[in-house]
Amino acid sequence: MPSSPIPASLVPKRSLKLMDTNKLKKAGPYAVVLVVTAALYGLAGQIDYTPRHAQLGPDFWPKLCLALAALTCLYEIGRALLRKEDAAEVSGIAEALDHDQIEAEAPPKEYPALLAAGAGLTLAYAVLVSVLGFVLATFGYLVAFMYFGRYRNHLVIWIASLAGTFAFAAVFLKLVYVSLPRGEEPFAQVTQLVMNLLGVR
Amino acid sequence: MIEILTQLGAGLANCFTPATFAMLAAGIVVGLLVGVLPGLTLVMGVILVLPFTYKMDVTASVVLLTAMYISGTYGGAFTSILFRIPGEPIHVPLLWDGYAMARRGQPAKALGWTLVAALGGGLLSAVIMVLLTQPMATFALRFSSPEYFAIVLFGLASVIALGRGSLANALISLFLGLMIGTVGVDAIYGSHRYTFGMPLLADGIEFLVVMVGAYGVGEVLLRLERGFASKPIGKVENARTELPSMKEIGALKGTFLRSTILGNIIGIVPGAGATIASFVCYGIESQYGRRKKEMGSGVPEGIVAPQAAATASVGGALVPLLALGIPGSGATAVILGAFMLHGVQPGPQVLLSSGPMVYTIFASVFLGILLMCLLGFFAIRPLVKILDFPEAVVSAFVMILCFVGALSIRNNVTDLWLMIGFGGVGYAFEKLKFPIAPLVLGAILGPLAEESFMNSMISFSNDWTVFFTRPISALVMMLTAIALVLPAINQMRARRGARA
Repeated sequence: MPSSPIPASLVPKRSLKLMDTNKLKKAGPYAVVLVVTAALYGLAGQIDYTPRHAQLGPDFWPKLCLALAALTCLYEIGRALLRKEDAAEVSGIAEALDHDQIEAEAPPKEYPALLAAGAGLTLAYAVLVSVLGFVLATFGYLVAFMYFGRYRNHLVIWIASLAGTFAFAAVFLKLVYVSLPRGEEPFAQVTQLVMNLLGVR
Repeated sequence: MIEILTQLGAGLANCFTPATFAMLAAGIVVGLLVGVLPGLTLVMGVILVLPFTYKMDVTASVVLLTAMYISGTYGGAFTSILFRIPGEPIHVPLLWDGYAMARRGQPAKALGWTLVAALGGGLLSAVIMVLLTQPMATFALRFSSPEYFAIVLFGLASVIALGRGSLANALISLFLGLMIGTVGVDAIYGSHRYTFGMPLLADGIEFLVVMVGAYGVGEVLLRLERGFASKPIGKVENARTELPSMKEIGALKGTFLRSTILGNIIGIVPGAGATIASFVCYGIESQYGRRKKEMGSGVPEGIVAPQAAATASVGGALVPLLALGIPGSGATAVILGAFMLHGVQPGPQVLLSSGPMVYTIFASVFLGILLMCLLGFFAIRPLVKILDFPEAVVSAFVMILCFVGALSIRNNVTDLWLMIGFGGVGYAFEKLKFPIAPLVLGAILGPLAEESFMNSMISFSNDWTVFFTRPISALVMMLTAIALVLPAINQMRARRGARA
């Protein structure tokens, strides 16, 4: 029988380390929320108001919510770090009722690059919509999002994006009349052209 | 009773005016499509349609959204049963018996049971809704701020207790939601809270921005990360509905009644909605039903219980919205938004001031359920065909509707940024298994909870025992305590059962 490349004395330490990493991973999100609540609690203390006799101030309610959130986070951090790995947590009634019925499915494959591209595109839309105007920004977003979504029927992408942009413009600029960004010059000319085509003054 | 019937008759006549009927029919069709599409949840669908209602009158817009809400609880059943694709979380329980029945070679029968459950559950809950709203509104006229605070607290507690997933995560989600509700100028002192010098934030964060972001953008980003890898659908040529016989329906009357009444009650509880009703009623049936041991093997009880409860919860959820002005679910929160956009504040006074409008909405629920079942029976194939639409195309359009929704609320790009921010929060919550519903309901009900709490403290000299000494608020506070303790008791019982 071949000997293990890892000395036996190291195995318990390694598994302990792995367990600790798991525990830290579990506690991580609660620690983040705890830091956020602490920061917001500090800001609540700076709310400017003139105190009234025997009356709770405007800082009371946010402080109460934050304190309760922090307490729950502390409880969960303690639970994650101190309790056994397989310790059950209290869940909602619906979870308990359907627990037996849930079938284990393989976790879906993930594409972080697609997520990053989609998130970046969405942020870009928010930045550019005031500059390019609703019409151009929407057309660009539709085309790019469909490509990022791994759809490759070019004809459908371009026609659907063009028709969709005109449909959105017709509904929201003409029928419902929502004040959507027109964009800055020279892009505003494109919005104006579309509005002229749709008969919007 | 005669007065109610007369008003309901007048409401029915109003439903047949071209504008209202067109909105009703459009709402039913769009709701069914939203229910069928897995990437689009019911609440998301209702939110995305809201900007289209700005130019409509209040009755037509509420009828449109309510019709979507009703049919959204039904459309997802088709794909759950035929393709094992739940269009909505509501229809996950249908995978266990509905899909099993279809796999046994009886998909038409399974769809028939769904239709009968939606019809029966929906109509009975609509009757309860009509009978209950007026007395509840009259009763609510006696409420003061402690009672309102107790009811809101009960709603928030119930969404945590009845939901799925970790209770602690739900509590954190709720407290963060309540914090979102504190942003803006405080109503009593006029102090700026968390506005960071931004004029738009002084008006607070619109709950619709939170909803659109957390539900809409978060969900699309999550699906994009999975590469829009939807399951391919099978052939739909054979999709049809075969209704069960009256004898078969009669044999399940207990399941029908139990699930409809429970679904209605869950709908009435502020905070709990169709998904919770569907899961709870399936669970009740599998634990206490006559054929509990056969549940999951394709028995009609497993189809009727979740579907009847889900559709019945709609009528229930409209009761606190109209009688108290408190939304009973995510979708009714959007309907509340539609009311408020048109300057109507639902609550005890609305039946007195806008009776015809309320009864038109009631009548539209009855008519909508009938229309939904007719469409479900005759148009199942074209409805299911929408699954052939590429998910990337549908999601791109959903994102644009989210953007328009955010931009149109206050005509300000800041709301777009906030919405994208809440989209990030929604995505992170999904990944970390924090429920989104408590966050959203906290943001919606938070201002009402704070206002009623602070008013109670001012009126009763900071005496917090007032919530426990006034009979109605004491009763509701007791129910709140029970709701919060129930999951822990339930878990203890389950542990003991496992040990035994």
